[in-house]
Amino acid sequence: MSNYNKVTDDVVKKLVAICGEKYVTTSEPLRHSYMAKGIMGLEAELPEVIVRPENAEQVSKILILANENLCPVTPAAGGLSGGFALPAIQPGGIYMDMTRMDKMTVDTENRVMVVEPGVKSGDAWRIFKTQYPDWAPPIPDGAPPAATVLGDAIERGFSLVTGVYGPQADMIMGLEVVLPTGEIFHTGSWALPGAKPFYRWGVGPNPDGLFLGSQGSMGIITKCAIKMVPHPHFKTVVAYGGESWDDVVKPAWEISKHEMGIGERTVMVQGGNYELVMTRWPKTNVPTDYEFYKKIGVDKKWMNYEVWAWTQEELDFTLKGIDKIYKDYEVREKRTTPQQQLHPKQIASRLKKPNKIAVPYSLWQAGFLFITWYCPWLESSAMMEEYCAAMAEYGFPETMWVASIDHARQAIVMPILCFDSTAPGIYDKIREFNLETTRSFLKKGWLNYRPDPFVHAPETFSKAKEYYKMLVKFRKVLDPNLILHPGRLAIPWESVSDLPNPCKE
Amino acid sequence: MTSLEDLRNINARCIHCRACQYAYSGEPDREGKDKTYTGMLQGCPAGIYFGWEGYFNSGKQWMARAFLNGELPASPELLEIAEACTTCGMCETQCPNYIDTVHVTEELRAAVIEAGVEPLPKHAKFRDMVSNDDMRNPYNEARSDRTKWAQEKHAEQIDKDVKIGYFVGCTGAYRQQHVADRTASILKKLGVDFTIISDEVCCGSPILRTGQKPVFKEVMEKNLETFKDFDLLLFSCAGCYKTIRNDYPRVSGKPLPFKTRHTVEYVYDLLQEGKLKIKNPYNKEVTWHDPCHSIRHVGIAIEKDILHNSKNWLVDSRGAEKAKEAHYEIPRVVLGAIPGLELKEMYRTRGDSFCCGAGGGVKAQFPDMALSTAKERLKEAASTGADILMTSCPFCITNFSDGIKALKKEEEETGKDLSDVGSKLKVVELLEVIDELL
Repeated sequence: MSNYNKVTDDVVKKLVAICGEKYVTTSEPLRHSYMAKGIMGLEAELPEVIVRPENAEQVSKILILANENLCPVTPAAGGLSGGFALPAIQPGGIYMDMTRMDKMTVDTENRVMVVEPGVKSGDAWRIFKTQYPDWAPPIPDGAPPAATVLGDAIERGFSLVTGVYGPQADMIMGLEVVLPTGEIFHTGSWALPGAKPFYRWGVGPNPDGLFLGSQGSMGIITKCAIKMVPHPHFKTVVAYGGESWDDVVKPAWEISKHEMGIGERTVMVQGGNYELVMTRWPKTNVPTDYEFYKKIGVDKKWMNYEVWAWTQEELDFTLKGIDKIYKDYEVREKRTTPQQQLHPKQIASRLKKPNKIAVPYSLWQAGFLFITWYCPWLESSAMMEEYCAAMAEYGFPETMWVASIDHARQAIVMPILCFDSTAPGIYDKIREFNLETTRSFLKKGWLNYRPDPFVHAPETFSKAKEYYKMLVKFRKVLDPNLILHPGRLAIPWESVSDLPNPCKE
Repeated sequence: MTSLEDLRNINARCIHCRACQYAYSGEPDREGKDKTYTGMLQGCPAGIYFGWEGYFNSGKQWMARAFLNGELPASPELLEIAEACTTCGMCETQCPNYIDTVHVTEELRAAVIEAGVEPLPKHAKFRDMVSNDDMRNPYNEARSDRTKWAQEKHAEQIDKDVKIGYFVGCTGAYRQQHVADRTASILKKLGVDFTIISDEVCCGSPILRTGQKPVFKEVMEKNLETFKDFDLLLFSCAGCYKTIRNDYPRVSGKPLPFKTRHTVEYVYDLLQEGKLKIKNPYNKEVTWHDPCHSIRHVGIAIEKDILHNSKNWLVDSRGAEKAKEAHYEIPRVVLGAIPGLELKEMYRTRGDSFCCGAGGGVKAQFPDMALSTAKERLKEAASTGADILMTSCPFCITNFSDGIKALKKEEEETGKDLSDVGSKLKVVELLEVIDELL
């Protein structure tokens, strides 16, 4: 385990020399203002100093300083990865607020945009809307407008076209990375000075994968070149209901596998259950009986299909194709999967990007947590069944969301744990819930997508020992003093887990 | 009285999504007329000015949580950050979790002060003056002069035994007497049998906003006692109106014994009832600034009152939102009833209106932030092409006027033409125009 030093007055002075007095603070209230214990993670440590660098050169100097003084560093921009955009180890060290780095350039010829960490989804959307209306920035769908494009991409997050293009990270064409030791380098074709970020694999082999999903624990990404997507303006959403998870999962698979066909225009496939509607409101001020939801046209389970097309004809053709698959499914499987009659306002609301759709789950009580898992699409029904049963057993409402990744090759399954964050013992209860479900799911070969560093990551790496050992080797090459925060990589192991360290076995 | 502790569960709803940092956070596709004013925009005056997370509501909620959990001690530094907020409520409009963001901020200020931290210097002066029985106003003026403005033209209205009161407020009584005069004149022209009460004291708005609750409670109780037998109180000050309408019942725990209406709303009522028609024209291009206190805060209160009484938010939330939006239309209906007036709306309006920068104790304690915020809004007003920036709030008028003065000075010093950012705008109180036209 690394022995970190606290941030001293001398370190603060040097940070001021790098970034300017205006952009460094040790103010205790301001340090608390960056905290977050919700959405994606519940644990966080108070940073010792906040610094707001302006460019990669300043980031580099900060990292060199952190190495000299052995201070841990945590970078964050939108901060929407919940607690894990914050230090998760003691001492809290240097928190790098990347929001000042908010430049964006757009290259419509090569269909690539370059963003710095501070470019917010809402800002990117506004700029595209007025200046590049035939293109869309691959912003996260369902994340609030303050979520950043780069943060979502390097988290391998969910974009508005994930159903077709795969996770956001699959759209990356190049990275500018500041290594923990301070070197700045580029990946892909960008590695060649003067080259555009037009070819991801570049001068190869490409190390992108080491940085994507690392939450900046392998290096700090200061620029990201990412594909922008065409933005046809014939758009709609259709939804089909069902009684069981299979009723929504199986037809979605049949639709999505039509690659180069209707699956190509079905950019977003996502669904859930009626609890997903119910828990957006206060527990004490909304009906909890399904009969109410049935009356207002909400099926027990449903799947939405967001379709983008260049013409009305294309749109109609796609909708007919989706409908036919559902009709055939009903006959073949002897099931009922009615098309929901969506009000135009409901359609408009679902087409809105970015949106705040994922935010109100705190209203149910006072707090919520998204837990995200990946599995092969057709196995998602089983995962959701098991998850819902576990949620019921632990006393959580069975709020569940699912979406297709890359033509339903994978499913992202996301239970939303709605809870009262002021209730004594609630965090222990969530930890128990996470442990139980994680142990069961890992046996089935399912993977946590945004692992909790204290539960999911150690449990996973305790099984994937060889992978963890390889990861530690890479990390030590890149970050010999382990100054970057552990992210979700469980490095250093002892800082997040009491389980046996796979490297010592 | 409410407390930060009472708001613990509401504060705990915050998941730090940061939607509250923007205007139109839920309307990314909103069409503006140019690149600058389109989609969602930054909306927090303090956050824009200071930049650090703690100055945005999103950071304040987490400072409040840390304070509640005993992780963050009361300190002058915490108070300074908490006080650097105009309490405009832009954040509250944006919050999908219906967090009472402004209450949390105000209660955090109060809790820090209750823990022994001295109020910020300018705010302490407010307190001393408002608690002084010979003043009872934050302008260092004699209490005996409170109705001096009315002695000449409206003497017959002072302490008249009727059921409708005009709550003048300290700014109307001591600083912008012309607004008070115009309001009294309007009420007379409309045939309202009203009175101006010499026992009126400061509504307590600057005291409550800055977290000085004991003095607020004192003046609130005095006013409630003074006006307990009234049927209706009318206002010209957005701050007094919001404080008495929204805060008195919340803080006292009792419903108000009288109805309340801002004079603009009263004119609206008469227009809606067909009892008033404005015939004289006002042939000018006007942009309208929604005062945070009388528009957004009252709108939010209307929405939350409906939800408070609802057993089914899923069904009732839309109706509650519509009621809030209907409130936002009131000044527009009044402006629309003025012949010849061409309304050229700014981009950020209604619930998403950007603050003038003066409220919440900011104008006195953080004058640079107040001025910078006024300039941001003046720039937006100038972008409409209107000549007149109209509003109905004495504080907005003061701060905008100061902003224009600063721009004019800059023009003199640099020789630059700053008309595109608002140097040529004229700030006008709607009540003055109504009085002229009636």
